[in-house]
Amino acid sequence: MKLGHGKYFAVSALFAAMTLGMHAQAAVTDKDILQDHLTTDRIVTDGMGLQKQRFSPLTKLNKDNVKDLRPVWAFSFGGEKQRGQEAQPIVVDGVMYVSASYSRVFAVDARTGEELWEYNARLPDGIMPCCDVINRGVGVYDNLVIFGTLDARLVALDKDTGRVVWRKTVADYQEGYSITAAPLIVNGKVITGVAGGEFGVIGKVEAYDAKTGNLLWTRPTVEGHMGYVYEDGKQVEKGITGGEAGKTWPGDLWKTGGAATWLGGTYDPDTNLLFFGTGNPAPWNSHLRPGDNLYSSSRLALNPDTGEIVWSFQTTPNDGWDYDGVNEVIPFDYKEGNKTIKAVATADRNGFFYVLNREDGRFIRGFPFVDKITWASGLDKNGRPIFVPENRPGNPAKTDGPQGATVTTAPSFLGGKNWMPMAYSQETGLFYVPSNEWEMDIWNEDVAYRKGAAYLGAGFTIRPIHDDYIGVLRAIDPKTGKEVWRHNNYAPLWGGVMTTKSNLVFTGNPEGYLMAFDAKTGEMLYRFNTGSGIVGTPVTWEMDGEQYVSVVSGWGGAVPLWGGEVAQRVSNFNQGGSVFTFKLPKAYE
Amino acid sequence: MGIKRLLKSCTALTLLLVLLPWGQASARPFDELMASGFVRIAVYKDFPPYSFINDAGEPAGVDVEIARLIADEMGLELDLFWMLPDEDLSDDLRNYLWRGHVLDHEHKHERLSGKKVADVMLRVPYDKDFNYMRGYIGEGVYAYQNDLVVMMSPYQRETWKLAHDTQRLEQVRTLAVFQYHPIGVEMETVPAFMLTSVFNGNLRKNVRHFRSPEQAFLAMTEGEVAAAMGMRGELEWLLNQHSDERFKMGDTTFPAMGKPHWDIGIAVREADRQLGYLVEGILEPLVLNGELQEIYQRYGLTYEKPAFFDF
Repeated sequence: MKLGHGKYFAVSALFAAMTLGMHAQAAVTDKDILQDHLTTDRIVTDGMGLQKQRFSPLTKLNKDNVKDLRPVWAFSFGGEKQRGQEAQPIVVDGVMYVSASYSRVFAVDARTGEELWEYNARLPDGIMPCCDVINRGVGVYDNLVIFGTLDARLVALDKDTGRVVWRKTVADYQEGYSITAAPLIVNGKVITGVAGGEFGVIGKVEAYDAKTGNLLWTRPTVEGHMGYVYEDGKQVEKGITGGEAGKTWPGDLWKTGGAATWLGGTYDPDTNLLFFGTGNPAPWNSHLRPGDNLYSSSRLALNPDTGEIVWSFQTTPNDGWDYDGVNEVIPFDYKEGNKTIKAVATADRNGFFYVLNREDGRFIRGFPFVDKITWASGLDKNGRPIFVPENRPGNPAKTDGPQGATVTTAPSFLGGKNWMPMAYSQETGLFYVPSNEWEMDIWNEDVAYRKGAAYLGAGFTIRPIHDDYIGVLRAIDPKTGKEVWRHNNYAPLWGGVMTTKSNLVFTGNPEGYLMAFDAKTGEMLYRFNTGSGIVGTPVTWEMDGEQYVSVVSGWGGAVPLWGGEVAQRVSNFNQGGSVFTFKLPKAYE
Repeated sequence: MGIKRLLKSCTALTLLLVLLPWGQASARPFDELMASGFVRIAVYKDFPPYSFINDAGEPAGVDVEIARLIADEMGLELDLFWMLPDEDLSDDLRNYLWRGHVLDHEHKHERLSGKKVADVMLRVPYDKDFNYMRGYIGEGVYAYQNDLVVMMSPYQRETWKLAHDTQRLEQVRTLAVFQYHPIGVEMETVPAFMLTSVFNGNLRKNVRHFRSPEQAFLAMTEGEVAAAMGMRGELEWLLNQHSDERFKMGDTTFPAMGKPHWDIGIAVREADRQLGYLVEGILEPLVLNGELQEIYQRYGLTYEKPAFFDF
């Protein structure tokens, strides 16, 4: 099917609408979104619930029958734009909304895989996405499908036609900003962060009115910048982030301090808090900015009505390894004696897994979730890393000769875990963490240039630690820090994880397999090759009394872009760009 | 022009010689380029005084003039290709010369990638160490990082300079004065690194970072900083644009700077060396006979010959 056959599309969309049953014309409400983790016939949020536990209450598919899972349809994103596909599909009333590389959105009949409409963002020349031209999914609200584009806009589309309803510029792409994360929609507000390379951007979290696209508040994530709320179109000051400038940054470096909020956030209705992670500080050379450099490489809890920072926790102070602190913060409860602990968990790029009190950000415990960490010898009682000074990359200003000393550090800057979301099972009480065992060499180079000028560059290479695997899917007990089971994978894992009440864990790998594991033992129960690497996140839902599983396939993302031995290991994987949807054959009902 | 005619006859002869023994295939790209009627030359966008759009809306700047000269001498139309700089030169070489930009997905161009690339890229540092730099790719192998392009024809030497507000600093003999006076600098540049790290970081509190040298310069004219540091060409251009006796170029030297000066030339694809030699044959006489210097002077810039011509 190609765009341009307007009539045919209108008819097929109408036909789809007619066959969708009761929910057909129902708009997505705030309540639907808040209940998403409990409902099984729709997926209206990235994360299968605002807390993003990626835990489904469905049980039809179980340990005994998952081996018979069969593909029922596949849908190709088409074109010659086959790059990394990192989206999680959304399913509303028999229609799947899924985004693809180059800021595209598709609406697909969830029963047949037939395309209903597609939207291609018209991207300007000269945008500079750092890590492939990916998109991580859409949000839905009312009759709108909302997503962020590589040129840093939010676009709201009519869910039935794909026509643009509103479009807002979140940041200037010419200054190096973009958006790749799925927007978070909470109580009628679209909450988004921004991505940006090493061009002196400032991270921020912003809320927009979901129906109109009007800006409601903005909160910069670097100390010293003013936050604002907008009342009747008027900008009102709402306090400087961190109180004042210059407390944890030297000179005026806070003005270009980085801390991009590129991975989006989670929301906890229980405490009414938003949780966002922030990226590494700029410039990359940590010796030029002594101090903690708040709030870079941190987790922030924000008031969803005003954007004010309620608490913060910094995982890597004075980050010198590019350990972005953006990874997702997942709220969960656990019992300690008779007491229920309201916690959040996050697995950082820096190799440590943190459990924090979600009401005040207090550090409860932290432990390594990868086998090798060399930049820090551990965490102190407040969760602050105990640095190993000799494993901090050297100061380029003190480099003698063309190349400074090489420092080898684990994990690599792509992290013990990167963007790919983990899942939490309310059934087993375990987190299922897609992680990688790799290290990096970093050295300073004075043979570098930028825009006709000499430049001090940093050279780096990423190496696997083991010959036979990089990726490790781990089951981790947040109460003890114990690894309950692990599954090693030859290529680095770059896709998200989903788990079910029937104790199944689903994820994909760059080799192309969608895999299902026993949540308690880690035994692989099923795998199916989708023909290209999986770097997206699977979902499951119920339709016409049957349980479906969907995942996006399409190799790409940051891994193949970086050199060294890791790039060699993945250089034979083929590109793609499609959605695969599975269910059990009817005979098994 | 005599040179032009000479070159044209040379070219015809060279082509003939190449075509005869090696067959059509190896000479084809150059042949096709000449037959196509245009040469595509890449210059940086919004980069005065080297390449920019002037007040009249016309492409202007030293590199644009050089590009025009090259096209003229080749008897071809000039197709200017404006580049947006990426994080470093290797990225720009990849995006605009040998592979094409990741966002160019229309695949309408003649290269195997289908992406638009330039025939010649200007303002490329002439540095054989960089051209043949090796990086570790694993299993004990250090592979060439930039071996798909060749750097040729150096045409200018570049260096760092400092401009200062004479009302606040009559002279700047050493950088030590910036313990007491603020200085503006473009962020993520060698001067920014140097100023924030020399004297054990003692200048750090007085270093103001800006998105461009122009903004640093304007901050000086507005009294926010007492000096601005940047590339000589950019500062000279800004001083001329501003034409106020109060702001002067300093003759400060920077002993702590990793690379005090470097040469600027062209880059072509490795397979297009023949084109590279042709451009070299056009530029070299202009360096030697002072024509290039005239172009620089027209923009109010100092012209310094590259080290290549020190003989």
